[in-house]
Amino acid sequence: MLAGFFSRKDDTAPLAIGEAEYTVIDTELTGLDLKKDSIVSIGAVRMKGARIDIGASFYQLIHPSSGMDHKNILIHGITPSEVEQKPAIDAVLDELSAFCGDSVIVGHFVSLDINFINKELKRTGRKNMKNAAVDTCKIYEWIKSNEGPFSRHYTARRDELDLFSIAREYSISFNEGHNALSDAFITAQLFQRFLSSLPGSGVKSIRDLLKIGKA
Amino acid sequence: MILEEAIGFLKKNPPFQLLDEPVLKDVAHNLSMEFYPKDTVILKQDGPPSEAVRTIKKGSVKILMKAEGGTDSIIDYRGEGDSFGFVSLIAGDKQKTTVIAADDTICYTLGRDKVLKLIESRPAFAEYFMSHLTRYVERTFEEMKGRSLAYSGTDRLLFTTPSGDIAKEVITVPEDTTLQEAAQVMAKHRISSLIVLNRNNVPAGIITDRDLRRVVASARNVTDPVKNIMSISLIRVDANDSCFDAVLKMIKYNIHHMIVIKEGELKGIITNHDLMLLQGTSPLSFVNDIEKQQTIEDLVTVSAKMNTIIGLLLQESTKASSITGIITEINDRLLKKVIEIAERKFGQPPVPYCFIVYGSEGRKEQTFKTDQDNAIIYADTPSAEAEEEAEKYFSALAGFIKDSLIQIGFSSCRADYMASNPKWRKPLKRWKEYFENWISRPTPEAVLKSLIFFDMRPVHGKFSLCNELGSFYMPLIAKNKIFLGQMANIIVKNSPPIGFLKSFVVEKSGEHKNEFDLKLKGVMPLNDIIRLFALESGIKLTATLDRIGALKITHPAVKEYHNELMHAFEFIMMLRMHYQYEQIKEGRSPENFINPDKLSNLEKRTIREAFHLISKLQGTVVEMYKPLIV
Repeated sequence: MLAGFFSRKDDTAPLAIGEAEYTVIDTELTGLDLKKDSIVSIGAVRMKGARIDIGASFYQLIHPSSGMDHKNILIHGITPSEVEQKPAIDAVLDELSAFCGDSVIVGHFVSLDINFINKELKRTGRKNMKNAAVDTCKIYEWIKSNEGPFSRHYTARRDELDLFSIAREYSISFNEGHNALSDAFITAQLFQRFLSSLPGSGVKSIRDLLKIGKA
Repeated sequence: MILEEAIGFLKKNPPFQLLDEPVLKDVAHNLSMEFYPKDTVILKQDGPPSEAVRTIKKGSVKILMKAEGGTDSIIDYRGEGDSFGFVSLIAGDKQKTTVIAADDTICYTLGRDKVLKLIESRPAFAEYFMSHLTRYVERTFEEMKGRSLAYSGTDRLLFTTPSGDIAKEVITVPEDTTLQEAAQVMAKHRISSLIVLNRNNVPAGIITDRDLRRVVASARNVTDPVKNIMSISLIRVDANDSCFDAVLKMIKYNIHHMIVIKEGELKGIITNHDLMLLQGTSPLSFVNDIEKQQTIEDLVTVSAKMNTIIGLLLQESTKASSITGIITEINDRLLKKVIEIAERKFGQPPVPYCFIVYGSEGRKEQTFKTDQDNAIIYADTPSAEAEEEAEKYFSALAGFIKDSLIQIGFSSCRADYMASNPKWRKPLKRWKEYFENWISRPTPEAVLKSLIFFDMRPVHGKFSLCNELGSFYMPLIAKNKIFLGQMANIIVKNSPPIGFLKSFVVEKSGEHKNEFDLKLKGVMPLNDIIRLFALESGIKLTATLDRIGALKITHPAVKEYHNELMHAFEFIMMLRMHYQYEQIKEGRSPENFINPDKLSNLEKRTIREAFHLISKLQGTVVEMYKPLIV
């Protein structure tokens, strides 16, 4: 559907945000250092426009290529023994890219997830992800700054921008878990709410969406 | 986990909960989740038909319809667990209503193709949308049953077992077999009973160990034929009836053996021993326990098991009336035993009397231990002195009975409707005066107070006294329309707790905030309406279900709704018992208040249907008594 997305630049009727297909993604990592760390699990949920597809989700635990340290084990709750028998990321990458197709990738601080995925793609001799990608955190900040005359001066503290705090603000119910799939599902619900309000603020097409939220 | 959450949700909500697991999973796979900010127009009247069935996961929607003048008016609200969009999806033409999110609302959406497939393959799914009370009651029962099983232990009663399954093969003998031969057959087969066949090979009687003991004790001739000593009253149970029914009959007729008939043929026999083997604490062994006791103290110990018994019954039975039937039998036994003990203590009564019960006890609709509602009617005395003497005796007797029942766990009646109150302990002629007064001078207050007496039933003593009273007042009622009119007034004033737009009307404050009284709003109106109809028609039965059964042929309103009525009544009683049992398990005393939010969606729907039925019948009552309604 979104094949040749970047060539749409000159189209007269850009794709509406309510009609595009999205893959909402989240990864759990052994740490935040792109050089040293690697992916432990990937979760993803598909959306058709603002509809979350309940039956289509992707979840894979991965045998990480780097060691797991204690601090992060405590965050994501995945232990080394759990992933020992799991496939290495190489075996998962093709499945993941088939799942994403040419949909728009959505995630909270999604650049981080994409950087890690691209690193693995590159390492295994594959090409980087070409999909357009938007960051729910950026969209959130844009909405906040666009809300009223005073909100222009709004600057969120970094610790208020995490997924759970924002989800709470939008009364999305969830179990705080740091599981890649449930986090992706929370992100999808957050994005779903954004999609319902954005057209009213003039964000109607994918092009508009990328302007405010490109990862 | 996304899928699991969706399946969990579907399982709780009709119509999906009617589907079995594999189908549910498949449905969940095809769901999508949508979000509608408050005030979003989801479907528009005269717009394209709905392309999906949406079930509300969170939030609510309002449904509007354009009136003649072109203004939208709200006709319904749907909340969590409710669905919408079905009708126009099926009909496929224009959308008939406008649906707007009343809150921020999340829906699970199932697309048209999938819905159509479900309707084809699962009739229950389509049936749901043609919603009707009677269709759901049974499923709701199943659901409640499941719930109480979930918190019970492993001691499953096998009351759902058909009695045919545990029936033992019977040995039959012809009716002219001698007692000695019969005893030999029993010894040889190590059995405790024989079925006696008459000349046409039809079961005519039974002889048991007990009978043979009597033979020996009375030194009867062992060459006598068995037909001379056999018990003739053969109580039978159909092989398809549950053991539960068998137990009920055994309790009722005080027997230990029962013939099981299958398709008209003798299938076998079941004994109370067989039934007791099915489970540890049986109502039957409980009744036997009661029979054996000689003192009030012992009865107190035995009756402490009562709630456990009811709990077990609740797990196994799908019918409230079966349970209340057993409870009534047990309570009657307890009461009779207490009266027997009292008579032994105070000696024989100076004049014949009848001990009667009324209210729920009279209607055989007791659940967990309730108040005492009883009275004494004694025979008219020849002189004032004789009446004084009788009064003295019955005063002592009734006082003892009341205190004993309190000890056993039947609390004292708050309104003092007990034989211990001199007002409710009178010779027959005074009782006739009472009824004459209530019926011919029906002040609203007097009628309200007298209502429960019209459900009276004799338990002990000379039943003819109670029956004579009934034959006295029934014709009076027919002559006094105003009395029935007062009853009608009471009925129409107690409106069901459904508010505008289908919400439940609950208490606004106090101890029962957000709850409604299921007895006052559910049980009582049905009791009252059916009592009115029964009295109109001169029906002397007291149990609400029996009254409905008797009225269904003759009474136009009951004729039309009798199935719904029975189901509604059974359902409300069942719901009440389940809630009370949960309260007892939590160590609280059982009460009648229910928070509608704690009901499952299916329960909510069913009770709503029941309340609708009540209000429909109230409408009928208003029609019938229009000139008398104030």
